[in-house]
Amino acid sequence: MLRVQDLCKTLPNGRKLLNGISFSVEKGEFVGLLGPSGAGKSLTLRCVLGLTSATSGSVDFESPDGNTHSICDLRQNQLRRVRCHIGVIFQGLNLVQQLTVLENVMIGKLGCIHPLRSWLYGFTDREAREAFEALKEVNMESFAERRAYSLSGGEMQRVAIARATFQKPSFYLADEPVSNLDPKNAKAIMKILAQLAKKTSVLGVFHQPDLIAKYCTRVIAIKGGEVVYNGDPKISPRKLADIYGDELQELEISQQNGQELKQMVPATG
Amino acid sequence: MSDIVYPPSIPTDAYRKPSDKFRTRSGFFLGFTIILVLVGAVLGFNPFMLIYEFHNVQDLADRALPPNFELLATQRSAYASLAETVSMAFLGTLFGGAFALVLAFLAAKNTTPSKALSSVIKNLFALERALPSFAVMLMFQIAVGVGPFSATIALTIGSIGMFGKLFSEAIESVDPKPIDAIATVGATRSQTVRYGVIPAVLPSIVSNWFYAFDVNVRSAIALGAYGGGGIGFQLVLAQKTLRHDDLLAWVFFILILIASLERVSDFLRSRIIKKGALK
Repeated sequence: MLRVQDLCKTLPNGRKLLNGISFSVEKGEFVGLLGPSGAGKSLTLRCVLGLTSATSGSVDFESPDGNTHSICDLRQNQLRRVRCHIGVIFQGLNLVQQLTVLENVMIGKLGCIHPLRSWLYGFTDREAREAFEALKEVNMESFAERRAYSLSGGEMQRVAIARATFQKPSFYLADEPVSNLDPKNAKAIMKILAQLAKKTSVLGVFHQPDLIAKYCTRVIAIKGGEVVYNGDPKISPRKLADIYGDELQELEISQQNGQELKQMVPATG
Repeated sequence: MSDIVYPPSIPTDAYRKPSDKFRTRSGFFLGFTIILVLVGAVLGFNPFMLIYEFHNVQDLADRALPPNFELLATQRSAYASLAETVSMAFLGTLFGGAFALVLAFLAAKNTTPSKALSSVIKNLFALERALPSFAVMLMFQIAVGVGPFSATIALTIGSIGMFGKLFSEAIESVDPKPIDAIATVGATRSQTVRYGVIPAVLPSIVSNWFYAFDVNVRSAIALGAYGGGGIGFQLVLAQKTLRHDDLLAWVFFILILIASLERVSDFLRSRIIKKGALK
């Protein structure tokens, strides 16, 4: 579905942010991206979406009609058409706060709507009905007419997921979807993502190795702009310490029990 | 308890002495008083005039009281004048707001198509704010004649300058993250504006519009006095024909008009913002 090859990103001052990232995601996989802050996880996602242009390397995305698109070479119009097939689950705080929950979900279809229609008429009743169905799937249907700013973090995150599923994409990208959530909500969101991954594919950035071990089918660890691990989601504590490096060692001094490594991994970044 | 040991000497820059502060404060008030007296001298004000010319105020009160409220019954043009003033303010605010909204999107850093255009429009806004509406009206009176039309144009131009600055600043302060999120679903630039920027700035646009309408009603009265028509013209007429009872009646009408307009606009504003009637 998605093949990333030798992705490099170098800043004008010569600093290398991505240094030859290569991996692929197949249908039905739930892949977790892991790594210390500033490792290049979010940047990799931005390159996959074409929001940031890579210095070199390629991103090939296979859309459901069987065509393969080389995202790095597409122009703005073509890029927008490809983005319709990729559902992005961003942090829930990125909803448009003044719009209602239902309107926020309907925004997911903007890529398929002619700009003239969105200015002169808006969304159709049928789109509203479908968006409401998407809200039902995340148990948020009673919030449809609420403004986004009145929701809690977990509720916003569910709406963000509903926006992506309403889009009916063949591929999901999730950028830290559970970072600002309490453990209970985080698990609920992970369950929904695992469910989605069965029929499509999900590539997500997470900071919780325990959640990745439980729900993901594969994990890719990035450190210093390079892939340092690609395989079984149940990572050994030693490997984890290696991935997180200094960030974890500082914590290790206070608690030397290797079994608690999972909890010690910083939750944000 | 050990004895308290005072430091041998307190460094002079550790704090400012209260007496120093008092001296600064007195100096400030003295300077302010001097400026006040100088300004008064420039304008030829004499505060005692209020006392030994007070009989003029008495005369005025004699002539103005009771106010001629029958005006509304006897003078058929009274209602037309009230409507004219409100209409001038309404049209000026509406057109000014509409032009300013379009220009503000071209001027705001985050939605402008080019940086050069942005700075051109921002300078244009500054120029329009600097022009007194009165001067604009006098110029347009030469072009389109004396009457409400030239006053409306003057109000429109004044409103564009004020709205343009307020709107473009509101647009620039919109959170960019939700807009990025909308772009990722494949939305065009104009669609991100429609669903990301406009909902975020609409409440401030609506409040500013109603506030500007209130201000423009008052400006419309002043412009009316110089040939714009409406209540302002009636005020001047009453004063020039020494009908001071009419003048006072007009002042009361204006008070009632502005107070009730504020009530109506407060009500509408809260309806529009809270119920989201425009979305």
